[in-house]
Amino acid sequence: MPLVEMRGISKSFPGVRALDDVSLSIAAGEVHTLLGQNGAGKSTLIKVLYGAAHPEHGEFLFDGRPVRISSPSDARRLGIAVIFQEFSLVPFLDVAQNIFLGREISGRIPGTVDHGRMHAEARRLLDMLGSSLDTRVMAHELGIAQQQIVEIAKALSQNARILVMDEPTAALSEHEIARLFDLIRTLKADGLAVVYISHRLREVFAIADRVTVLRDGRQVASLRPAETSMGDLVRLMVGREVDTTYRHRFCDQPGEVALAVRDLHADNGIHGVNLDVRAGEIVGLAGLVGSGRTELARTIFGADRINRGHVRVFGRELKDRPDVSVGAGVGLVPENRKTEGLALVRSVHDNLLVAGLDRLFPEHWYRFRKAARVVGDLIARLQVVTPSPHRLTKFLSGGNQQKVVIGKWLNAGSRLYIFDEPTRGIDVGAKAEIYRLLENLVGQGAGVLMISSELPEIVAVCDRAYVMRDKVIVGELGRGDLTEENILRLAMHHG
Amino acid sequence: MSAAREKRLPTPFLPGVAYLLAGLLVTFSVLAPGFASVPNLLNVGVQSSILLLLALPMTLIIMSEGLDLSMGAMLGLAGVTLATLLVDGTSLVFAAGAALAVGLLFGMANGWLIVSLGIPPFVATLGTLGIAQGLALVATDGQSVVGIGEQLPDLYASRWIGLPFSILVALVAYGVFHLLLYHTRFGTYVFAIGGHREALDLAGVRANLYHVAIYGVGGVMAGFAALVFTGRMNAGHPTAALGMEFDAIAAVIVGGTSFSRGDGWLPGTVLGVLAVGVLKNGLNVIAISSSLQVASIGLLVIAALLIDSLRGRR
Repeated sequence: MPLVEMRGISKSFPGVRALDDVSLSIAAGEVHTLLGQNGAGKSTLIKVLYGAAHPEHGEFLFDGRPVRISSPSDARRLGIAVIFQEFSLVPFLDVAQNIFLGREISGRIPGTVDHGRMHAEARRLLDMLGSSLDTRVMAHELGIAQQQIVEIAKALSQNARILVMDEPTAALSEHEIARLFDLIRTLKADGLAVVYISHRLREVFAIADRVTVLRDGRQVASLRPAETSMGDLVRLMVGREVDTTYRHRFCDQPGEVALAVRDLHADNGIHGVNLDVRAGEIVGLAGLVGSGRTELARTIFGADRINRGHVRVFGRELKDRPDVSVGAGVGLVPENRKTEGLALVRSVHDNLLVAGLDRLFPEHWYRFRKAARVVGDLIARLQVVTPSPHRLTKFLSGGNQQKVVIGKWLNAGSRLYIFDEPTRGIDVGAKAEIYRLLENLVGQGAGVLMISSELPEIVAVCDRAYVMRDKVIVGELGRGDLTEENILRLAMHHG
Repeated sequence: MSAAREKRLPTPFLPGVAYLLAGLLVTFSVLAPGFASVPNLLNVGVQSSILLLLALPMTLIIMSEGLDLSMGAMLGLAGVTLATLLVDGTSLVFAAGAALAVGLLFGMANGWLIVSLGIPPFVATLGTLGIAQGLALVATDGQSVVGIGEQLPDLYASRWIGLPFSILVALVAYGVFHLLLYHTRFGTYVFAIGGHREALDLAGVRANLYHVAIYGVGGVMAGFAALVFTGRMNAGHPTAALGMEFDAIAAVIVGGTSFSRGDGWLPGTVLGVLAVGVLKNGLNVIAISSSLQVASIGLLVIAALLIDSLRGRR
């Protein structure tokens, strides 16, 4: 008998049918994966499950009995715990206080809390999860993987029977993902039901017992991973054939040197780095999280201080200042597109123009008509889906936001693009478009340096790749040697 | 993880104001022979006590990503209420209760405006500042309320276990706030309201209630400060405490509490209050004009934050 059953759930928002007759049944000891593109209804379904959204139709069964879930407290009482993508930890409370937030263990005097018992209890929970994390550390000092452990401990402390995890691997390294999966298997063995939401198809086959695919608010399939394939799942999610070829033509004749890095040492720990990117090439930069990839990108962009060595872009020497780098033609598409790539509360129009104003208006006089024309051209060229150029970028989907960031640099006249995790949080359909844009960029004579934690992406997209470990480059792999195994071997210090 | 362990222990390292305070103490001791005497240091304590009564709740308010500009005005109105009742011959207990009630009322009003109506703290408390100040002026025609009898001045002048009354009040207040912030649910939720308000709601806590209560506590403390202040002045002044909230905000900020993420440290507030107190007293002792003293607090704030930012604390 399933632990939870949701039957015939329908939910509308003004103008949108968010969920249309969706049924989901989750058994104890099962990992149930929810797949779907952005806007397919995954988050709404989760909100319904934990009582933050109320469906117009449909019923809940818990342990075979009908129940009502009208608030998050109802859900918590039933043992449903959700771990959101944006963690809900309080930065200046310690691990134990975070685990017991809202359910503090009381001291003898009413209103007081018993820190000793809370730490002991937290220790017990963390030990159960196989974590040696110190319960006295403040949450703001924890890494992402550690925060996730605390969230899981928090859920367990509420006697959760169903654990919902929203994109739990989005910000984890390969190594951390492996540990998380081990943990999920343990929880599963203890009889917990896990609802797992992900964009990453590979993970479905690694961890899921059942897959439910949602599209446009409808449930298009519910099946076992063994009964399906990646290609099938993509078709189910997208509803049409998607071109899953990442790259159509590799670069056989690289052009002039777009980026030359020589013996680079920087304040952020980068030391002795040598690297080349030629026009027409997509060069990968692989390595584990913390290996120094982002630091290297920041140094090349001029955001961190150079101590020794040279960075030249199309022959021009850069001087650790972003304005000089941008002037020389460097465009950085950062990992945190919402904070570093875009001004979210400004329009598509403003974001597209912001980096290229000097170039667009050399006379230092803003001309509305010219601006509108340029913006119109960029939107058409990049196929940004937006109702108007004046739409605020925070309302765009991840894929369209990423296109705006790329457009910003196109408009600034960039010829060397640094992409840091270009497809993170972007759904399958839009990913293909981003890859096509990358290919167009190099086709027009730009050079691309691409950081990615997704090994299949590096292997499928790049002409060459460098692998980093401990803030240095430990190897270079040409097209012929570029395999996931080779990258991992270099990245993980296995000789 | 071991790195995190090292970072946490020992205690959060001292804010820049600790070094400034030490520097000020040494400098004034050298410059002015009378400064380091016991009577003068007790005097610093007495002068700092009222500021501490305001700075303690201000720490919680700032930690909750808020601000209270009305504290000086609330103190003024509570003081006028207290003095007027005492002039009428009301008992001290009842008059003090009324002063605390006035503070509580205004504090809760602040909380209600900010939390329930969503008015930004700066604007909401600027409004209540005006109202409280206006009421105090109307009630007194802008004059001091004198002739409050002997009860309160006697209490103020009394000594307990060798300490002046106001220092004792400040010590007790610190103890209570320390327990409140670090050992109660309320305190935990102060960190959470500033740090991750939504997490608190999702944990099923009625965060609004606690959020309003933070401002309520601020009002009550303004009432207590009025008690000490009126005792010291031997009269109720409608405007004498105006602007004191800015000293309180300065003390909290130099003490290492930040306007965001619920990052606060109560002992730092004591250091901040003492630094302000020592600076004012020391400048008095070496006979620097009071106008320059105002500028010196500005310098103190900038110097303390400069030290912290150079050390990467912020």
